[in-house]
Amino acid sequence: MIIPHFTLNDFLPVMPVGVLMAAAIVLMLSEVFLTSTTRTYQAIIAALASIVAGGIAVNNAFEPARLVLQGYAVLDPFSSWTTAMVCLGTFLAVLLSAGFLKHRNAERGEFYALMLFAAAGMSLLSLSAEFITLFINLEVLSVATYALTAFLRRGPRPSEAGFKYFILGAFAAALLLYGAALIYGATGATKLVEVSAALPAAFAKSPALVYAGLGLVLAGFAFKVAAVPFHMWTPDVYEGAPTPVTALMSAGVKAAAFVAMVRTFLFLVKGIDPVIPFTVFSLLALLTMVGGNLLALPQRNVKRMLAYSSIAHAGYMLLGVAALFAPKLVEAGAKVGVLTATPLTGTAQDVSVAVYKGLLFYILGYTVTSLGAFGTISALERREDETRGNTWDLERFAGLAQRKPGWAAAMALFMLSLGGVPPTVGFLGKLFLFSAAVDAGLLGLAIVGVLSSVIGVYFYLRVVVYMFMRPAPIDAPAPFRHWTTELALVTSAVLVVGLGILPGTITEWFSRVGMVFGH
Amino acid sequence: MNAEQVLFWLFSVCTLVAASGVIFARNPVASAMSLVATFFFLSGIYVLLWAHTIAALQVLVYAGAIMVLFLFVIMLLSLTDSGPVLHFTPSRIAGGVAVIALFVSLTAVFRKLPTAELTWVGDAAKLKNFGTIQHLGEVMYTQWLFPFEAVSLLLLVAILGAVVVAKPRI
Repeated sequence: MIIPHFTLNDFLPVMPVGVLMAAAIVLMLSEVFLTSTTRTYQAIIAALASIVAGGIAVNNAFEPARLVLQGYAVLDPFSSWTTAMVCLGTFLAVLLSAGFLKHRNAERGEFYALMLFAAAGMSLLSLSAEFITLFINLEVLSVATYALTAFLRRGPRPSEAGFKYFILGAFAAALLLYGAALIYGATGATKLVEVSAALPAAFAKSPALVYAGLGLVLAGFAFKVAAVPFHMWTPDVYEGAPTPVTALMSAGVKAAAFVAMVRTFLFLVKGIDPVIPFTVFSLLALLTMVGGNLLALPQRNVKRMLAYSSIAHAGYMLLGVAALFAPKLVEAGAKVGVLTATPLTGTAQDVSVAVYKGLLFYILGYTVTSLGAFGTISALERREDETRGNTWDLERFAGLAQRKPGWAAAMALFMLSLGGVPPTVGFLGKLFLFSAAVDAGLLGLAIVGVLSSVIGVYFYLRVVVYMFMRPAPIDAPAPFRHWTTELALVTSAVLVVGLGILPGTITEWFSRVGMVFGH
Repeated sequence: MNAEQVLFWLFSVCTLVAASGVIFARNPVASAMSLVATFFFLSGIYVLLWAHTIAALQVLVYAGAIMVLFLFVIMLLSLTDSGPVLHFTPSRIAGGVAVIALFVSLTAVFRKLPTAELTWVGDAAKLKNFGTIQHLGEVMYTQWLFPFEAVSLLLLVAILGAVVVAKPRI
């Protein structure tokens, strides 16, 4: 029997998770032992825990990339930055929830505990380096979000959303597990490093088995990141969930699933014709960018529109992933097409550093923008309309600029950032990702991306037009006031503009070499 | 055909027959009882794979505890016979086609697998231990420590989630 030997070093990457879990357990127990009527302290505990966890993660991000915990986890800047951004998203979502739940008389320690557990799951997912660990951590994150989705069950929508999310999420997780089992059957390993070493031989021996496994793993991830054609659940679930939870799902869950997908597939494409992963990811990116934006176009329900828009944003991130897998050597004179990689200079440069920087910056930008946008919506929701379902209609935003200019200005800022208008963080994120894609030779796809984001500007600006140019209806709702909600929105707005004007050292941190373990 | 093969065919045919019973039985209790039979025969296959502990756990946990839960649910729902279930709607036909397509593709995948007989490559001492609780415990608490701890987090989250969702109204 070999007794494993751990040093403190091994536990560095899971320290943020430890902080989040400890705070979650304290919150869970606080509901049992403390019977105070005001529960804002719970939100403050949760927010402080996410700040501490985020700080540890930022500190970890400057460690050299390596395998830890017997090869089940990695410590690399990619996962550490993701953890830090997940903590930022959780911090904002917790603050938004405090006002939201208080307004509905539904503040409970369990809610914040589940949010912190979900954040812990996201962080663990981003650093998993082994299939079984990956699956378990994906389930930690999913189970917590299923419960959060069905937390407030007023009217039929939340129950429907929770159930739909549970069934489809379980289905997606089963696909992923099935794929991992087939890959284990082909390679005899579950650790990604060992799988990648054994894949070329396995691919030569039984290609069908490997293809089936890779396809199922990809389908499982595509469900989680809501890529077209695996996006069907997104609008219903995002609409039915409590709005701060939707915000956390659109930012954190998606970011963690993306990072896990990139990490897994960097290991899984060994020994396979490089054209295949490139084509698959390009097709997914194309469908998701165009599909998400076109589906968002007719929506009058702002929350549903943001759900479709989050699909479109997943498409832009997939564009970056496709650039990562673009073939490095292409014959000069090959045709320029939507899916073909034709570098402008003949041979493609290695764009991986630019792609990692683009992906991380995009995730950061989308986190602050999406939290802000969903946060503004959550403040405008009216409790008595929850069962009627027109809570999020565009009309509700009419004339907001005259009634509450500050709120309207913040919402306009978030909409512009989602649309990718300078000087916001949304613009810079798109710029980094699209320029990386062009450098990798994906000129056609990048053009499609820019065009589809122009479609996006239409429905984002429609909200701004309603707020600033339409008269307010008589029964227009006033946003509820709670200092935590206002703090969260001000923080998001400051970050959206601040990062858009002065990305500064953050882009330098995101573009260091040795970002992802093993690459 | 040696004894192991006889047992394998016995268990696998019985598993399939019992599993079909789960789907085709009209009476929900009969369906649940077929599921118990499926679990029992499946645990026989686990024994043939040297996974004695898994086989014992299968009988204890699935055929024992989980089936009791199933029966409780059936009892509480007090299901009545709601007419024939076998009529064709477009979604059911599509589902059937998908099942057949999945079966065909899986068959294609498994036909590509190497056909050479599998031989035991480990040493005799390992063979003696393999599948025992001691071996399982050693592997789980030394080699698979991190996933094992992750599962405990998952269980905690699942319990908390179940409590939250089961509350009548928040």
